[in-house]
Amino acid sequence: MKNLRLKSARAALDMSQQQLADAVGVSRQTINAIEKGDYNPTIKLCLAICKTLHKTLDDLFWE
Amino acid sequence: MEHSMGYNFGMLAGVLVGALVGIGIVVLLFKLKVMDLTFDERQQLARGQAYKYGFWTLLGCLLLYGFSDAALGRWCDVLTGVMLCVAVALVVFASICIVKDAYLSLKEKPRTIMTLLTVVAALNLVIGGMNLKCGQVVKDGVLTYGAVNLICGAMVLVLLVIYVVNYLMAKREEAE
Repeated sequence: MKNLRLKSARAALDMSQQQLADAVGVSRQTINAIEKGDYNPTIKLCLAICKTLHKTLDDLFWE
Repeated sequence: MEHSMGYNFGMLAGVLVGALVGIGIVVLLFKLKVMDLTFDERQQLARGQAYKYGFWTLLGCLLLYGFSDAALGRWCDVLTGVMLCVAVALVVFASICIVKDAYLSLKEKPRTIMTLLTVVAALNLVIGGMNLKCGQVVKDGVLTYGAVNLICGAMVLVLLVIYVVNYLMAKREEAE
């Protein structure tokens, strides 16, 4: 299932996938896979993404 | 063709010295941070799966090679046969990594890798072509060690094609 909340949170900060990827230390393709719902990130990566986008885990990853 | 003991020791010493120098260069490149093989968690997962498929491919190919040698008689040098099996397993491993965007580490650049693959493929194919022209690839109906350059060249060429196609598809997807 697509993670549109992550995509919109990233877009709200005017960040590209590459910028978010660099900020959390993963490849752009990994961010793309998370947004498309092709990859379930570990809690460590979820937290890093949340911190970078100033969101909580509930905001971005809780169903 | 039988070789003297001195020749065999010389070959062994040459291979060992070459391997030691190679390992030394790689260690130095890592220490100087020229080479950095850091992969993210998704890439590590994908590479693990690719290793698994590569491993089973290697086992399958070695078994197939063993059975073919037993059934058909000697059709290639043992070392060439093993290199053939390794090449097939490497193609499986690397192509899965490429398709899953897990071939390059976080610091590596696609253009650098494409250039490197092109150079390695071209060098091996040229040397392999020269071996073929000199009749060193097949002797008495047996594939000799002279075929290894052609095998490596073909392997790298296949990887290059898969990489370029995947790269262009990712670029198009990125643009959309």
